[in-house]
Amino acid sequence: MSERLAADRSADHAAIDRLSSELLPALIAKLGATGLGELEVREGGWRVRLRRPTGGGSYNTRDRRPGDKDRSVRSSAQAAANPVGLTPVGPGRDDRNGREGTGSDIGRVVASSPAVGTFQPRADARAGTKVREGDRLGSVDMLGIPQEVVAPADGVVGASLVEPGDAVEYGQELILIEFATSAETEA
Amino acid sequence: MFRKVLIANRGEIAIRILRACRELGIETVVAYSTADRDSLPVQLADEAICIGPPDARRSYLLAPAVISAAMLTGCDAIHPGYGFLSEDEGFAEVVAAHDLTFIGPPAAILERFASKAGTRQLLGAHGLPTIPGSDGMLRDEMHALDEAERIGYPVLIKPSAGGGGKGMRMVRTGRELESALRVCRSEAKAAFGDDSLYLEKWLDENRHVEIQVAIDRYGHGVHLGDRDCSVQRRHQKILEEAPTPALSEAARADLAERALRAAIAAGYENVGTLEFLVDSVGSFFFIEINCRIQVEHPVTEMLTGIDLVATQIRIAAGEPLGFSQADVALRGHAIEFRINAEDPANGFRPGAGVVERYHAPGGPGVRVDSHLFSGYDVPPYYDSLLGKLIVWGPDRPSAIARSRVALDELVVDGLVTNVAIHQALLGNEAFLAGKMTTNLLDRVGSEAILAAAARA
Repeated sequence: MSERLAADRSADHAAIDRLSSELLPALIAKLGATGLGELEVREGGWRVRLRRPTGGGSYNTRDRRPGDKDRSVRSSAQAAANPVGLTPVGPGRDDRNGREGTGSDIGRVVASSPAVGTFQPRADARAGTKVREGDRLGSVDMLGIPQEVVAPADGVVGASLVEPGDAVEYGQELILIEFATSAETEA
Repeated sequence: MFRKVLIANRGEIAIRILRACRELGIETVVAYSTADRDSLPVQLADEAICIGPPDARRSYLLAPAVISAAMLTGCDAIHPGYGFLSEDEGFAEVVAAHDLTFIGPPAAILERFASKAGTRQLLGAHGLPTIPGSDGMLRDEMHALDEAERIGYPVLIKPSAGGGGKGMRMVRTGRELESALRVCRSEAKAAFGDDSLYLEKWLDENRHVEIQVAIDRYGHGVHLGDRDCSVQRRHQKILEEAPTPALSEAARADLAERALRAAIAAGYENVGTLEFLVDSVGSFFFIEINCRIQVEHPVTEMLTGIDLVATQIRIAAGEPLGFSQADVALRGHAIEFRINAEDPANGFRPGAGVVERYHAPGGPGVRVDSHLFSGYDVPPYYDSLLGKLIVWGPDRPSAIARSRVALDELVVDGLVTNVAIHQALLGNEAFLAGKMTTNLLDRVGSEAILAAAARA
C-alpha cells in the first residue's frame, strides 16, 4: 500500500462530498426521468455507477441460458461438450414473442445481424459515434443482397464484436451500443 | 463425393440426412431458424448456422439465405430434404449457378416435371395410363364447369404446385365446384405461391399406390417396389405400407417395371416416386411424380435394405448407381406410422409445447426416425410431424402384431398425438383385410374408428 499525500486525501473527500450533495440527487432524478437502466459518471479519479433494480429499466436483460452465449457456427467439439439429452431446454420463448434481432442488456444494447452473410461496417459509424435508433451501422451481404444493420436504440457506438468481412449468421451480435453518459447526454 | 453438405431442413428428416452423410464420410452443417435453435439436428450436426426467424418464408424457404449459409460454411452441396425448397427448380438453378450441387434431380429435370399436368402428358406418352383430367390449367369458372362436365363428376380440384392436400377438394356437383374453386385458389396461392388448378376424375373407392425409383445420371435405374399410401386424412398420408395388399405380386411387378421404364424414357434422374391411383378392379392411373426423398421412404428401406438417402446423395455426386434390378430383393412387409402432434378426437387439431417424457419403442424390425427428446419444446410454426415409427415383419399379419406392441410402448408425454388413430386402425376390419381406400378415414370418420376401437 503506497503512502498517499494529505492533499490527495482532501481532494478525494471534497469529491465525495460533491458527489453525494450535488451529483447523486441530480443523477437519480435523471435516471428516473430517462427510463435508462444504468448511468455511470466519471469525476476525476472517481466513478459512480447507478443501476436500477432488475426489471425496472426500459431494457430488460434477455433471458439467456448458460451455453447460449455463442451459438454462431458451432463446432463439433462444442456439440460433444454439450451432449444431447443432458441439457435441459428452458422456455426460451424470445423468438415467439416477436422479439428478434436485438440482443439487449442493462446499460447497453447490441445491434445484431439481419441475415446470414458477410458483415461490412459503415465507415462513419466507428466507435464513439453518437447514433439514434434506426441509424445504419453497416450491412450484411446475403448472396449479393445487402441487409442493413441498424442501431436498436439511441446511444454511442461501442466495441465491434466481429471484424469487417466476417461471416455472420442471422441474429448474431455485431456491435455494442453503449448508453450515453450524463455528460454526453447534457452536451 | 461431397466433402461437406448443408442440410436445409429441420426435424426428423434433417437427422436422417445427417446420418446418411456421416456414413458416407461427409461433414454436415444444419441450417436452422431461431425457432429450432435447441433442436436435435442442430445439436447433432458438425456445425449449425442460423439462417433466419421462425417464419419459414424468411428462413427455410428463403433461397438466398440457404445458399449464403452453404457458401459461408464451405459446403459443396445442399440437401433440401422434403417440403420447403426440395422441388423448387428456381432454387436448384441458383444453387448450381453458385457452384454448389443440389441433392436431387438437376434444375432442368425438376423444370421438366414441375407441372403436374405436363408430367401426366409426358409420362402418358411413355406408356403410363393417366387419369382423365382437365385440358391444362383451369382458366376460369366457366372453363372449370365445362371440363368437369366433360370428365364427369365427381372430380378432384388439384393445385399444379405442391402437395400435402393443400388446395385440393373433391366435388360432386357444379355448385360445389364453384364454391370450392375460390378456396382452392387461395389455399394454393398461400401454400405454394401459385394458384394454378386443374381437375382430375375422382375414383370413389381408390387406392394410392406409388413406385420408388432410383436412376443415375447415366440412365441406369432400378425400381424399389411399391408403397401403399391409401390411409389418408383429407389427402394427407398418415400410414404407409409395402407391399400394397391391393395388387397381386405379378400386378405389382408389372406396375413397377412400367413406371421405371417410363421414368427413364422421360429423362428422370435421381430418386423419385411415381404416384398412381388404383381402382377397385386393379386398373392403375398415373397421377404425379415426386422429385424428392419422401416422408415414407423408410418403408422401402426396410424391405430392400437399401439406404435411399445415401443413394440420392451418391447419384447427385455423379456416381453410377452401382447395382442392378437383380440385386434388389423385396423382403417381408413394413408399415410406417406418422406420429403427429394432432388430436384425432378433436378434428386433428395440431398442437405444440414441451415433450415432458419421450420413449421410443425398440426390438427386432422396429425403427423410429424422430427428432424428439425429453424436454424438447415443439415449435408451433411448422408441420406437426413428430417422427415416424416403421415396423417390419416377415409378412403383413406379423408386421401388424409387432406394430401394436410398438405403438403401445411409444411414450410422448406433454403433447396430444395421433397415436390413438393408429391403434384404432390396427383394429379396423377394412384395414386388417387390406381393403382400405383413400376415403376410409374421411368417409367412415375418424370418430367412428376411434369409438369402435374403444368398444373393442
